[in-house]
Amino acid sequence: MKKRHLQKFVIISLLLWMAFNFPILLLFNKSEAIFGIPIIYFYIFSVWTLSIIISFYFLKKYNE
Amino acid sequence: MNSGFLLVILLLYLGLLFFIAQWAERKGNSKWTNNPYVYSLSLAVYCTTWTYYGSIGVAANSGLNFIPIYLGPVIAFPAWILILRKIIRISRVNKISSIADFISLRYGNSRFLGALVTVISLIAILPYIGLQLKAISETFHIVTNSPESTNVFLDTSTYVALVLALFASFYGTRYVDASEKRKGIVTAVAMESVLKLFFFIILGLYVTFYVFDGFDAIYAKASLMESFEERNTIHGLEGGMNWMMLIVLSFFSIFLLPRQFHMSIVENNREKHIRTAIWLFPLYLLLFNLFVYPIAWGGNILFEGKEVNPDMFSLLIPQLFDNTFMTVLVFLGGFSAAISMIVVSSITLSTMLSNNLLIPYGLLGSLQKDNQESNSERIVNIRRIGIFLLIILAFIYYRFFIMDFSLVSVGMISFVIVAQLGPAFFGAIFWKRGSLNGAVAGIIVGMLICFYTIMLPFLMSSINPESNFFKEGFFGYTFLQPFQLFGLDYLEPIPHALFWSLLFNSLVYLFVSVSFKGDYRERNYAEMFVDIDKYINNHENAFVWKGTAYVSDIQKVLKRFLGEERTNRALSIFKMKYNIAPDNLMADARLVKFAENLLTGHIGTASAKILIESVTKEDKISLPEVLKILEESKENLIINKKLTETSNELKELSSQLKKANETLVLKDKQKDDFLDTVTHELRTPITAIRAASEILHDDDEIPEELKKQFLQNIITESDRLNRLIDKILDLEKFETGKQKIYPSQGNIIQTISKSLSPLQQLISNKKIHVEFDENQSKVLVDFDEERIIQVITNLVSNAIKFTDEKQGLIIITVLNEEEFIKINVFNNGKGVNPNDLESIFDKFYQSNNQNIKKPIGSGLGLAICKQIIEAHKGKIWAENVQNGVTFSFILPKNN
Repeated sequence: MKKRHLQKFVIISLLLWMAFNFPILLLFNKSEAIFGIPIIYFYIFSVWTLSIIISFYFLKKYNE
Repeated sequence: MNSGFLLVILLLYLGLLFFIAQWAERKGNSKWTNNPYVYSLSLAVYCTTWTYYGSIGVAANSGLNFIPIYLGPVIAFPAWILILRKIIRISRVNKISSIADFISLRYGNSRFLGALVTVISLIAILPYIGLQLKAISETFHIVTNSPESTNVFLDTSTYVALVLALFASFYGTRYVDASEKRKGIVTAVAMESVLKLFFFIILGLYVTFYVFDGFDAIYAKASLMESFEERNTIHGLEGGMNWMMLIVLSFFSIFLLPRQFHMSIVENNREKHIRTAIWLFPLYLLLFNLFVYPIAWGGNILFEGKEVNPDMFSLLIPQLFDNTFMTVLVFLGGFSAAISMIVVSSITLSTMLSNNLLIPYGLLGSLQKDNQESNSERIVNIRRIGIFLLIILAFIYYRFFIMDFSLVSVGMISFVIVAQLGPAFFGAIFWKRGSLNGAVAGIIVGMLICFYTIMLPFLMSSINPESNFFKEGFFGYTFLQPFQLFGLDYLEPIPHALFWSLLFNSLVYLFVSVSFKGDYRERNYAEMFVDIDKYINNHENAFVWKGTAYVSDIQKVLKRFLGEERTNRALSIFKMKYNIAPDNLMADARLVKFAENLLTGHIGTASAKILIESVTKEDKISLPEVLKILEESKENLIINKKLTETSNELKELSSQLKKANETLVLKDKQKDDFLDTVTHELRTPITAIRAASEILHDDDEIPEELKKQFLQNIITESDRLNRLIDKILDLEKFETGKQKIYPSQGNIIQTISKSLSPLQQLISNKKIHVEFDENQSKVLVDFDEERIIQVITNLVSNAIKFTDEKQGLIIITVLNEEEFIKINVFNNGKGVNPNDLESIFDKFYQSNNQNIKKPIGSGLGLAICKQIIEAHKGKIWAENVQNGVTFSFILPKNN
């Protein structure tokens, strides 16, 4: 994998750090339900899932 | 459930694991054991009973705080592709077998630092193992509905711990070389990871969709409860900061926990396995967390107002509905989570204990005198006893100290202690100037703060919960309150301890590192660690060492630990790699490093260094000198790289030259042949002319008739000569590009008819049947008619020459395509030798088989045809078809 592509993964890590901490995390700090679970759980699990998909996509795309 | 029955199930389950481990060990390197999925799943040793039971307790009792423990790894994992690869490479080339080796080697292979890291790991992990035993014991009593016995020897769980200790101590020590891969353990752990997740999800589905009617139903009931909102949100900015510290904590743990280091680095077979782990492991964690909330709140609803431990909801819920099967499944899942953690942790801890503490600080002397067999046996036995004692110690710790604490609180303290290795660890990979003194000072200061802010209060509260130490602080100084150090009062105890300890740890590490000059050896290893990619292929070169050493002395030491055969094999490989004469007596820096590496797996980095030092004499060397040598070796590496590149280029160039030469030789031969043939061809008519003229000249009395005959011969032969010279000139002109073509639009059908008419006589003479439809519709295309007539004439006369002698058949077809037209001339003669299909278009191709038959024609015809067609930007070729040969050419329509 090229160095440029490797650094994309570091950027994913940084973005995840931002998404999982205040102030962004606190924007979703509510216990009302979406699909039967509190919004905060829903938000965290969604970002989590998204990060897996993006990592998977990048790994397949740049796999030489 | 009857406890005897459950014990039988447990033993069967352990037997199954044992069987899997044995099987995997035998399979060795097969794709079943050595694949990225097994690797990724084995990392899930991260999820212990703390995850399995503790998360639910946290979610039910206090809320979201179980999640950050998984968010750290989730954040760290994408970056693993860079960071972990580096650590794996460093560990591979240095034969590192534990985190103690890793950190101590980087800081100048320090024996003291290795021991310090080992002690800290023991302090952190022993209670953590105790915690797993506690979980096994408690869940065992819940499932069997039996009371916990105060007499240790009557309590069943004691025997479970004993069996586990035996299992781990026999299974974890198959190899003397601790850096060796343990496929059996890894596969068994991966298997357990699948089981624990699977059972947990089954429980989640059971609680959510069987006990309740889905997520909405749980929410509807739970949201009515008093503390629901409070426990499902983060408490403002303060909560956010606590949250962040917990993420930092787990981020450090995924790198630093000895068992994670072991699974992700020591047991890594291929670097590329990381790629799978990067998405699979976060996915695993996600699946493990999905059902925590419904189980926790399902439990809160079902047991509202009752005194139960929410850690045990996952067993209590199925029990409440009398579902014994489900209860046992859940219990086995938790058991899996516990034993994989216990086994892997105790193996790594005992390796560290033997390689970084016991051997370098004591046993080395006696090992040095013994022979290989008894040494190997002793080392393995030390580790074996180590594992057994560690588990027993953990059990004692659990019985006497942490009986009454929740799973999470003990685990968290372990994490905080392990995190103290963080600054030295990350400094080791990224910062060349980080020094041994800085690392040691930082770790010690961090540990002291840790001890004061979390361990001491923890111990005090188990001894005397009423102590006013918490409120008043040390000697009554309120700013020294352990949970609000320096008045920091908005962090909870764990984040609070982590913050202060890490802060001072890092500051001391940084400050001491830049304040004092480092040792040369440290700087040497710093270079090797930070710039590992440069040294990956010949890292022995990066080791700076000056002095006197004899190969035979080093060999003797190696034999004591590796045995005769392995030593000799390793040395001969080494000599081959660096191109050293086999009878070389003196050892150089590379051999010293190589020998240290060989010993490292057996006795740890520090002891390896001590042993090699004992048989060699190192000269003093100053730091600037080391830096100079390193600089030079770096330059050498670059020069080497350039040299390889240049030599590769040269190789390529020479192969190109060789090819060019071959074609030239071939061309030269063709030219010679060509000249041969030309002179031969020219001579034939000249000889005939000369013979006829001579007769005419010498003899005046030839009858008139004969004279005429001779004169006719002279004319024919001159014509032939003329034609031949024309053709040669023609070809020459085409080949040198002097010959132009003058295309104009015309009907190719008409042109073919035109070419055929002069041949009619010849055709009817030889009784050949020619098939060509002169009346087909016009095919218009741009071409030089005169030249194409030449081509067609040539192809047809060739066909006439070679067609079957008795029943000659020639078929000419024209194909009109969109882009081009294609003309085929078929004859039913003998096929062309497949090897010659291309060369028949060469000049005088016949010359190759001239011996066999006399050429018919000049041998230039096809060569000229090729030139003409190529001048039209078309293509001409021959192919053998059924019953004959087809010559085809295409003319493009827009050129």
